[in-house]
Amino acid sequence: MRKYFLTPSFFYQVTLFTLLSITMILMGYKLFILEYELADLIPTVGYEVEVSMEMNGHGDKLSLSTYLPLTTTHQSISDERNEPDIFATQISIDGPNRIVSWSAPQVKGSHLVRYSYFVQTQHLLYTIDKDIPIADRLPSYLQPYLKAEKGIQVNDPLIASTLQELGVDGSSTVYHALYTIHDHLQNQFENRNFSGFTDALTALKLKEASCNGKSRLFVALTRKLGLPSRLVGGLILTSGSKKTSHQWVEVYIRGHWVPFDTINNHFAELPKNYLRLYYGDKVLFKHSANINFKYLFHITKKLVPRKEMRETMYASPLNAFNMYKIFERIGISQNLLKIILMIPLGALVVVIFRNVIGLETFGTFLPALIATAARETGLWWGLFGFLMIILISALVRKFLDYMQLLHSPKMAIMLTVVVISMMLMTIVAVQSSLFDLAHISLFPIAILAITAERFAIVQEEQGFLRALRISFWTAIVIIAAYVVMSSLFMQSLIIAFPELLLFLIILNLWLGKWVGMRLSEYVRFRKLIFKGSR
Amino acid sequence: MNLFKRLFFDFDTIADNCTKVMGMNQRNLEYVYPNNPRSAFAYANDKMLTKQSLQAVGLSVPKTFISVRYFYELQRIEPELRQLTGFVIKPASGSGGNGIIVIKGYEDDHWISVSGQLYTLEKIRKHIADIIFGVFSFGLNDCAIIEERIEQHEYITALSPLGLADIRMINYKGKNVKAMLRIATKASDGKANLHQGGIGVAIDLLSGRSFAAQIARENVEVHPDTGISLIDVQIPFFKEILALCEATAQVIPLGYLGIDIALGVDGPVVLEVNARPGIEIQNISDEGLIVPLESVDRDYL
Repeated sequence: MRKYFLTPSFFYQVTLFTLLSITMILMGYKLFILEYELADLIPTVGYEVEVSMEMNGHGDKLSLSTYLPLTTTHQSISDERNEPDIFATQISIDGPNRIVSWSAPQVKGSHLVRYSYFVQTQHLLYTIDKDIPIADRLPSYLQPYLKAEKGIQVNDPLIASTLQELGVDGSSTVYHALYTIHDHLQNQFENRNFSGFTDALTALKLKEASCNGKSRLFVALTRKLGLPSRLVGGLILTSGSKKTSHQWVEVYIRGHWVPFDTINNHFAELPKNYLRLYYGDKVLFKHSANINFKYLFHITKKLVPRKEMRETMYASPLNAFNMYKIFERIGISQNLLKIILMIPLGALVVVIFRNVIGLETFGTFLPALIATAARETGLWWGLFGFLMIILISALVRKFLDYMQLLHSPKMAIMLTVVVISMMLMTIVAVQSSLFDLAHISLFPIAILAITAERFAIVQEEQGFLRALRISFWTAIVIIAAYVVMSSLFMQSLIIAFPELLLFLIILNLWLGKWVGMRLSEYVRFRKLIFKGSR
Repeated sequence: MNLFKRLFFDFDTIADNCTKVMGMNQRNLEYVYPNNPRSAFAYANDKMLTKQSLQAVGLSVPKTFISVRYFYELQRIEPELRQLTGFVIKPASGSGGNGIIVIKGYEDDHWISVSGQLYTLEKIRKHIADIIFGVFSFGLNDCAIIEERIEQHEYITALSPLGLADIRMINYKGKNVKAMLRIATKASDGKANLHQGGIGVAIDLLSGRSFAAQIARENVEVHPDTGISLIDVQIPFFKEILALCEATAQVIPLGYLGIDIALGVDGPVVLEVNARPGIEIQNISDEGLIVPLESVDRDYL
């Protein structure tokens, strides 16, 4: 009896049971008592927007300012990052707008300022009640939105006569007036791809305009009717680099600023990929003169965890973000922690490929580590760099072997060769503007050296083709580990339920006792397996 | 398509066949781990320990002329070495045949290897020093063994004229369960290595006759380099081979092992012992390992 308790299988089962219970209790607590929503774990699309600004100073004071987006019902802004170069940064609120300005007293030479943020947006669509009349009296805070401005000539007779031609006046319903104006601008005016300033009257006379001309005319016409309206400046979010910003308008209707765009035909609607940067007739960038100012927006589409999930997790006492705070205090960033948390999952992928599928790889967990490092280089450059380094070092090892050196000094040379080839690849990559490949230097150096050594041994004992084949399989496992580890769903899942790491141990305990044939062995022993069948 | 048809119509046969074939996971979990305690792996990994253990009970191993474990011993080997004309130098913990030199003669103050290379005393000392420093064994200090060069039995030489052939026996709980003969070819560079194009010849355990042969999983009937038939050849001293393997299994504290035997003029000798014998032997003998292994377990009870 006593002996029974000390068997390996008893410990195995007790461990399995304990880990499974802890995992289930923790997950159950979160799902049923804290009400985590699993649906919130499915990621949404977001955009990373980076504006880069280049300038040349001549020894004088230099200042530069632009608008930053604010979080509203339509858009949520997070993860803002400022790379101010030599400049002092100031962020201030001006009415409905947020302004960032950079300045420095004596600026010489070329400088680059970058500011980036993450945007998650929602599609907005308003239904305007068809019976609402245009209000006679408006509260004083809306009065400025009826006034003429430079470029918005509300009181010009041409504006009044245009409204007359369109058959709208103060007695029209809000819906009818807006529909008529929107329709007229959308269909009777040519869209022009012109980046300069166009005022309302010019647009009206030419019957053609770019977004800013049309928007000023829209504002002039609606203000004349007594509808408070304003210009909105922003960006249309599409992946890639661009200089073009966009303008549209908003009309105040019963407590809501309702959006209209007569370039792309959005009536009372704001598409998901519009980003509001500022309100009013403003210039996006203001800067000191003669600095050869250049700017570029760089927009990257990204999958991100839903806001709801982040909020639920913040609210819970067992929340994972608290855990991040603890790590941040000792200098480990959230991003790094996320990577560390995904490594066990990568390791499981490797185990499945080795023990269930039966692909031979170099190094047990090398594929998971390379996949981790490939987050910086991108998958394909990562694979390319990996194979290059292995081939170069294996060649060198062959040469070292010829000279017959002792193991440890030989490995130290291999390590150095790996470092040198990384440096060379980084330099070549930067020279040829392959910045992703340049991150190759983040690869685990010692492990690569050992892998190159393994490559050379396999090549010697089992032939070059076999060594290449194992490299190919290693590459496949790297791809698989990369796909799983960079899956946002998996990341969200593990961040929300770090106890799943225990579950990974359970899976490995189970796989550690799995005696089934590996998939590749079915192929290897196919003759035996199909023996006697017809 | 044919594959799916066979899978569908003969599923029972195929499923049954699958249970007879041993995979890597099963080998490790059900045979290696339970029967080969980690502490006994040294009996397989250290060829010097293997030899000493077997020699102690009078089992045949290649005769050790000199073993060198320490650098200072290098100075003393000269007189003994000068007496020798045919010998093998190998690292005790090497793998894959690395670091092995086979000397076949002595002439004009230097030795000649089987591949025709000349070795002066200095060159041999240097090689032994490399072995001791662990050049061939992953940085571990190692022991260099200088041992008798086995003169292969003429029957075997007829089958394998391009290099030393060896017999791989799988032994489980003291019982021999499967045997094959491994033969060198031109393609395998004189090494009897199945990965590199060596020939695997299946041997019937009861009669000691060969019944099938393969190169790279393709069936062959004759040696591709010599044209000599590989099928239905009687292995000489087969009873002695079986007895030597069973005796070896008694001495080495491993329950599941591969024993490599060379067949010399005077009978079989144990070359080395493997604690994780490969599973390719199943393809060579056209039979899974599980059936004979389970029959050993039944007899054991």
